[in-house]
Amino acid sequence: MSDNKINRREFLTRSAKAAAGLAAASHLGNTLFAAPMIKNSKIDEKVFILGIDGMDPGLLHHFIQKGMLPNFKKFLRNNSYSPLRTTLPPQSPVAWASFISGANPGVHGIYDFVHRDPAQFLPFLSTSRTYSPEKNINLGSWSIPLKSGKVELLRKGPTFWSELEKHDIPVLLYKLPANFPVTEGKAKQISGLGTPDLLGTYGTFTLFTENKNENLGNLGGGRIVQVQSYDHKFQCTLEGPSNPLNKKEETSHTIFKISRDPWNDTIKIDIQGKELILKKGEWTKWIPVEFTLLPVFASVHGMVRFYVQKVHPFLRLYVSPINVDPLHPDSPLSNPDDYSQKISKKIDRFYTQGFPEDTKALSYGIFSDEEFLVQSKSVLNERLQAFDYQLNHFNKGLFFFYFSSVDQNSHMLLRTMNPSHPLYDPNAPPQVKNAIAYFYQAMDTVLAQTVSKMDNRSTLFVLSDHGFSPFTREFNISTWMVENGFTAVTDKNQYHKSIFYDYVDWKKTKAYVMGLNSIYINLYGREMHGSVLPDERDRIVAEIIHKLKEVRDPKTGKKVLVGAYDAQKIYSGPQLKIAPDVIIGYDQGYRISDYSVLGQFPHEIIGDRTDKWSSDHCMHPNIVPGVLLCSREIKKQSPALWDLAPSILERFGFSAHPLMDGKSIFKKM
Amino acid sequence: MAVKKIKIQKELLDKANKYYQTAGYSSVEEFISHILEKEFNKIEDGDDSLDAVKKRLQGLGYIS
Repeated sequence: MSDNKINRREFLTRSAKAAAGLAAASHLGNTLFAAPMIKNSKIDEKVFILGIDGMDPGLLHHFIQKGMLPNFKKFLRNNSYSPLRTTLPPQSPVAWASFISGANPGVHGIYDFVHRDPAQFLPFLSTSRTYSPEKNINLGSWSIPLKSGKVELLRKGPTFWSELEKHDIPVLLYKLPANFPVTEGKAKQISGLGTPDLLGTYGTFTLFTENKNENLGNLGGGRIVQVQSYDHKFQCTLEGPSNPLNKKEETSHTIFKISRDPWNDTIKIDIQGKELILKKGEWTKWIPVEFTLLPVFASVHGMVRFYVQKVHPFLRLYVSPINVDPLHPDSPLSNPDDYSQKISKKIDRFYTQGFPEDTKALSYGIFSDEEFLVQSKSVLNERLQAFDYQLNHFNKGLFFFYFSSVDQNSHMLLRTMNPSHPLYDPNAPPQVKNAIAYFYQAMDTVLAQTVSKMDNRSTLFVLSDHGFSPFTREFNISTWMVENGFTAVTDKNQYHKSIFYDYVDWKKTKAYVMGLNSIYINLYGREMHGSVLPDERDRIVAEIIHKLKEVRDPKTGKKVLVGAYDAQKIYSGPQLKIAPDVIIGYDQGYRISDYSVLGQFPHEIIGDRTDKWSSDHCMHPNIVPGVLLCSREIKKQSPALWDLAPSILERFGFSAHPLMDGKSIFKKM
Repeated sequence: MAVKKIKIQKELLDKANKYYQTAGYSSVEEFISHILEKEFNKIEDGDDSLDAVKKRLQGLGYIS
């Protein structure tokens, strides 16, 4: 940041629209650990938590039995293990919020990836919301915010670390999901799932292609841009975030040039004063890119990685999502504010978007399985570097470290080790077939490293938020709701063309689907178009649940759901008022279709899943339990994710927060 | 550009007339049009618009 310019961060934190919301969090970095220590016999405890998203109990045992995970095998011989009950629904934001708060969704208020504002009937992502600045001053074509916008973390309820902070116990939370923007306080944090890229999305790659036959445009999660060669030279425009300081909110951009070797598979990229020589198949490290918002005064800092897919006969250059640069964080990536800078100075730049594995590039066929695997391994390598650094600098307190690799690769590549999966490819290369084992083995090494740091005052938890199931059949539950009279439509011939509930007849609609596992009653007085009187609510909920339980797949005759539940009966807490009315738990192999999540209505009720995102966990919690390994005896029967917060607190000698409904795993219940 | 008239409460119009110059606009029409555009942008292109929510879910991989 140059000293002779207006403070860019100041500018940016005043604008909620710049990238993913630039929270005006005032962190307490300078007061870190300044308060006097309180005497506590357990103050020197060490609690290590390895959060391995998506680690599946069945796969863990499968790999152990095959002798591929010697450290897990050794650990299990001397320590405690249990499958871990997960939340209903078993979605990552819901599950991790229950882990954090030690409570059910009625307390933390996260019920689904997607919530809706009933008054405006608009969906939003459940973990955070962005608010634009309220006041601007206009200078020519520029609109300068006078009052700050903000990003708000919507997760409510207690956290397991707030009590530790109060007692000056050091806390590290590395990439903890459902925690963006990171909480204020003394805990050192790098934000995880929920952290957007510089465009405000959860990852949007750009593919520059010379091939005129490629589909162009925005794909959602990616964009394809055609480029033309003039004597083997290309000029490419990389679009940045929309410019909140410009009255027309034009998109910021940077232009870079490519020169191609006419005879060899090599290119040269010139971008913002840097020259990069790359061969076909080569990835760059992180390249910083700056997007100007207000000439001279304001810019935002991102970074990208280039990957040369093809050079001849057509150029094909993949550019990663533009991540927020941790060396110049223009959004609240860390606590204290400068913590991401400190870490990246030690270990180099790293992916800052919540889920870095580019699953969309594979889904859209931009990446092959092998290319996706290479990118995923590079994400893991970065994470392992951070893990080494953090583990080696940890002395006491609480250490939480999160890994996304098992989860993201299970979504995309679990099919490659399951011959009964419809998308199984018997001819897939060995490294692809062994991909899941590779990531489990990496976790085996991580376990050994952690154990080596433990002493007699240490406790280790290894946990996952859910396991995995094949996802082979898609349930168009929105269409089912129409055919069963719960959602009414104005035109039976047209409603399949709906983009977003376009043909819904709200006056006659009793209930509608929004999100991955949620149904809402169209309740009068609550919903924008509410038509169901409150005393009718319970009857309609019961009717939906009864009918849903009977749904069978016409192809197999199997039931599609394990169960559906009235949220008012299964949850409790101060956030119950915002809960969906019915929560759906799908059986193995089934999940809501992509189309039904946000108000589209395909013709077919149940169809084949053809996307490579072909394993999932948004089913019923009984289908996809997580794992829990602990270095101390697990005495509680059937432990659950929400039991861990009270258990962690107990290790430090603290009682559970009154809103925590979980119980310590170290006590018999 | 085609122009159509709309009705607006007198109190709101008085306020708009009072503040448009302070807010940096050259006319009250430009001021009101821009306020409306901003509201539409929130719905169509804002960080919490349908499009933004779809893009984020797509980015996560849960829908395509």
